[in-house]
Amino acid sequence: MDSSSSSSSTAQQPDFDYLFKLLLIGDSGVGKSSLLLRFTADSFEDLSPTIGVDFKVKMVNIAGKKLKLAIWDTAGQERFRTLTSSYYRGAQGIIMVYDVTRRETFTNLSDIWAKEIDLYSTNQDCIKMLVGNKVDKESERAVTKKEGIEFAREYGCLFLECSAKTKVNVEQCFEELVLKILDTPSLLADASSGAKKNIFKQKAPEADAAAGGCC
Amino acid sequence: MGTSPSLPPRLPTTTDLTSKEGRLPRDPTPPPTPFSTSRADGIADAAMASTSSKYAKHRRIGEDEEEEEEPEEELERFDDFTIASSWERFISEIEAICRQWLADGPKILMAKGAESVPSFENLYMVKRDLKHGKRVYCMEYHFMKSAKGKYSYWNDDTHSTQLSFGVDDFLIIAPLSASGVVLDDPESTKLLSSIAIALSNCGSNWPAFVPVHDPSRKAYIGIQNMGTVFTRRFEADRIASQVPIRLMHLEGLHELFLSKFVLSSSDFPAKVKVNFSMKLTYRTPEYEYDHEETLDSEATETIAESEVPTQPRKQWDDDCPWAEWYSAEDPVKGFELTAIWGEKMFEESLEMAEVENASSFDADSWLLHPVVSPYMVDDSIGKFVGFASQLYLLVNAFESSGEAQFLEDFVADNSGQDNSKSLVTVPPPSVIDRVMKDLFNDEAGISNYVEAENKHGRALKGAPSDSLFAQFCLHALWFGNCNIRAIAVLWIDFVREIRWCWEESERLPRMKSTSKIDLSTCLIHQKLQMLAICIERKKSLNCEKDTDLANKEGISNSTAPSKIRKGSAGVVPSMMLINIFQEMHAPYTQDAPLMTEDMHEERLHAAEAFGNAVGLSGQLERDILSSDMSAFKAANPDAAFEDFIRWHSPGDWVSEEDKADGNSTWPPKGRLSQRMSEHGNMWRKIWNDAPALPVSEQKSLLDSIREGEKVVHYLETLRPQQLLEQMVCTAFKSSADILNKTSYGSFKLMKTKMDQLYATMASTLKSLQGKSDISDLAGDLKQLCQVFEHIEKLLIFAASVHRKLIDAPRLAQSIFSDYFNYYLPKMGTSLESICYESEFTTKEKVGMLERDAVSSLFRPPTANQSWRKVLSMGNLLNGHEPIQREIVFSVMERVSNGHYSSPTPLCTDEQVETHRMYISGTSNDLWVALSVTSWD
Repeated sequence: MDSSSSSSSTAQQPDFDYLFKLLLIGDSGVGKSSLLLRFTADSFEDLSPTIGVDFKVKMVNIAGKKLKLAIWDTAGQERFRTLTSSYYRGAQGIIMVYDVTRRETFTNLSDIWAKEIDLYSTNQDCIKMLVGNKVDKESERAVTKKEGIEFAREYGCLFLECSAKTKVNVEQCFEELVLKILDTPSLLADASSGAKKNIFKQKAPEADAAAGGCC
Repeated sequence: MGTSPSLPPRLPTTTDLTSKEGRLPRDPTPPPTPFSTSRADGIADAAMASTSSKYAKHRRIGEDEEEEEEPEEELERFDDFTIASSWERFISEIEAICRQWLADGPKILMAKGAESVPSFENLYMVKRDLKHGKRVYCMEYHFMKSAKGKYSYWNDDTHSTQLSFGVDDFLIIAPLSASGVVLDDPESTKLLSSIAIALSNCGSNWPAFVPVHDPSRKAYIGIQNMGTVFTRRFEADRIASQVPIRLMHLEGLHELFLSKFVLSSSDFPAKVKVNFSMKLTYRTPEYEYDHEETLDSEATETIAESEVPTQPRKQWDDDCPWAEWYSAEDPVKGFELTAIWGEKMFEESLEMAEVENASSFDADSWLLHPVVSPYMVDDSIGKFVGFASQLYLLVNAFESSGEAQFLEDFVADNSGQDNSKSLVTVPPPSVIDRVMKDLFNDEAGISNYVEAENKHGRALKGAPSDSLFAQFCLHALWFGNCNIRAIAVLWIDFVREIRWCWEESERLPRMKSTSKIDLSTCLIHQKLQMLAICIERKKSLNCEKDTDLANKEGISNSTAPSKIRKGSAGVVPSMMLINIFQEMHAPYTQDAPLMTEDMHEERLHAAEAFGNAVGLSGQLERDILSSDMSAFKAANPDAAFEDFIRWHSPGDWVSEEDKADGNSTWPPKGRLSQRMSEHGNMWRKIWNDAPALPVSEQKSLLDSIREGEKVVHYLETLRPQQLLEQMVCTAFKSSADILNKTSYGSFKLMKTKMDQLYATMASTLKSLQGKSDISDLAGDLKQLCQVFEHIEKLLIFAASVHRKLIDAPRLAQSIFSDYFNYYLPKMGTSLESICYESEFTTKEKVGMLERDAVSSLFRPPTANQSWRKVLSMGNLLNGHEPIQREIVFSVMERVSNGHYSSPTPLCTDEQVETHRMYISGTSNDLWVALSVTSWD
């Protein structure tokens, strides 16, 4: 996964093929900001708790495509929840993070966060990913990998365990998500940097094959 | 048989060719067909007249004789055949074609491209043109793909010829002329003879028919060779007016049938066992309200009322959700009920009279068929008026919305454009007043619209149904002809009203009082939500000013020992402050500042512009945090930073208390999380800077005066195209929502279609939010209108069927799904209207328990109606005569071998239908078809 933190292209057309909006959600203190910092700057430090929302941009090349990732990091505090709800809009990928050493951060995903997604996400096909962070603290583990897989299956999302501290699986996590988005045409249509395409024209061959169209 | 067969044609011989007298008998002089002036009585005689199959048999016999007599002349005769008379060549031509068809059989014929006979599933047809002299004939062979059951003749898939004569496959030969009817008797008899000979030659048992007389009489003669012994003859004719009273009743018709064989043979006993079967077709009476509507428009209300006082004057769809906007033509004009009486045996004509008086409920089966208005299948643009047609106009307006910068431009200069005047007319001010009154009616009150009704509804970026903007869009659809100018005029007035509400701090009508802005709605609705909230705040601010003094006194009275506690929302259960033995109070906090979509967008852009520079983007969030901290400090004057964290971000408080011990001790043991306790922590900095201020004394995070003014400004300067975009989305959504509210008995297919409509709308309207090419978009939107129209029509149909058959839900659903399947192929997405030829004919069987519900469709006629109509046929259903009565009489006879000394052994126990008569009649039209089987 090549990456270049800043864009140096001076060409007229946009210097990326797609712009993806990704969102990090989960209880406070599960390591969302650390995960983001590890991915965008490849560093790890104990960060101040996010106030409201934070935002990072990273340019990557995946599957031969130049991608601009706008990653929104939200605060986990309940108080900020109403505020962050607007950031779900138009997100192509949503990463639900929990702390494998704190069980309640895992259960809150189904009790609170998954519901937030249903409520606020505007992209029907948006890709969800479940990430268990802090696997470096294996001894304190409170959520098994199997439970994570079960949850992911139930909610139809991708699943990965990682550690922002030891760098394990952090890049894979974002890469997997981006590849999945690249596989989803309806998400690409929004994210394309070029002009919006005519949906009827795009769908024309499909509709013909379906003999008369659906409606 | 009472008629004398004409001379059998002989094979040509040389002598015949030379002598004129010899040739004459070869052209068969047709037997006199005795159609008497009283046609109904003449039918019997006529049927016996044509005996051409006898030619065939005689011919063969004659041939054999000749061969025996003159075997040596074989070759010579063969030569002669080639120079045979044109008639004989004609016969052999028919024979060749028939042999080909016989050899091919149905499967190969179908493979060779036999056409299916329209509206019959099982029936196919091949045809060939034939020339005889100067005339061209067309011979059609109708055959069935698969054989039918014996008693299925009442089935809809039965061709009238099959039904009338009781045959399966059949041949029809008719001249190729405008009328398609052989006009003179000699010609028709000759034609039938030819075909009979040909068929007999190839050993085929196909019945053959020739039309005779005037086409309106639908008269036929026909013949069928049934093995060597039997021959069946057919005859049909019609009386189109002045049907003798005797023949309007079953008794008389029964006698007519009996007379056929009493005349022809004395073998039959006086009492004959006659098989009888009947099909009655009823049609529901016209609904009265159609009639009343015309009266209504002529302002003769009083007369209408006095005439039909029992029935309320209303449209059929008055209580349908769309009735607020338009009245749809009832797609179901009525129903046709078919009651079928299966085979019964009768011996006397008197018994027939009883059948005539019997209740239709005694019939063996009932079939129901809706009579569907032709507008359902006519999709030429402009024919149908409903949401779809208005949406189409709105899309047109959208197309032209790019022509001007401001909506005022559309209103202003119109003087120069006389040519397009008709297109851009604006309804008079009185209409605008009415619309505004409706929109801003106080009684509309707080609308209870549901946000995000369904998955697709949420994907559609429009205003929620019944909200102010949605209602505006619906009014705009029906405002004049929804041209851009009319919309502009309406919008300007609409915004003026909103400005007034804002200035006067009047609550916006049709807006939910909410503290949230639903970002899945269209921007105008979000702005109106914002404005509604701002107006609410503005009002409460005004109130506060008045009561400020009193409040302050109240607070000062309730002073706490050390510091004044302000703005507490209550004690947080089982939470004690860390430094002082006091309960923790949760403060009232400010609502997070409301933002509309464009404000979020702005913030995102700002954040992106600042890039990764930490902290620069988070000013608003910090303000919120600071506000919370101030409020917390005010509510808990002795609180420490740790207390705030324990309340606000419990995750950052690492408790070291023994959880098993239920009672929490004081002071609470624990520490801040690492990240909170680090040096230079942003949270602590903000905490230190935050003054202790209750919410009431804080500066509001939302400047309602400023934001409200901004909203009104946005509405006033909205670009036409932006307005129209949002109107299109909202109008589509609201129209669909209105239709969706219709009760249509939750027919599954309809529900699926509605869901599909939402999905299609979502995907089409989505591109409106991107800045695509306007003409491209308009094309898509027009296609969407087409889809909308199909579904709207189907829905109206479903609603109509549902309400008419509310007591027979299963039947209603079956009828709907029949129609749905019929209609489905139409629903292509192309803009061109499809010429739809096949008619909807499917009949649905009515269950025994559903008969009551169906019969209630036939409201007993009022005194007025019965006075108008003279009933003459009997077989009444709730006082209504059938529109058609079809009867089949037949007599079966066991054929015994001994009786007929035929050389060819027949199956001795065979039942042969010797006489069969099909009668189709109304009080002034009677059509009779007779088949008689005879033996020679």
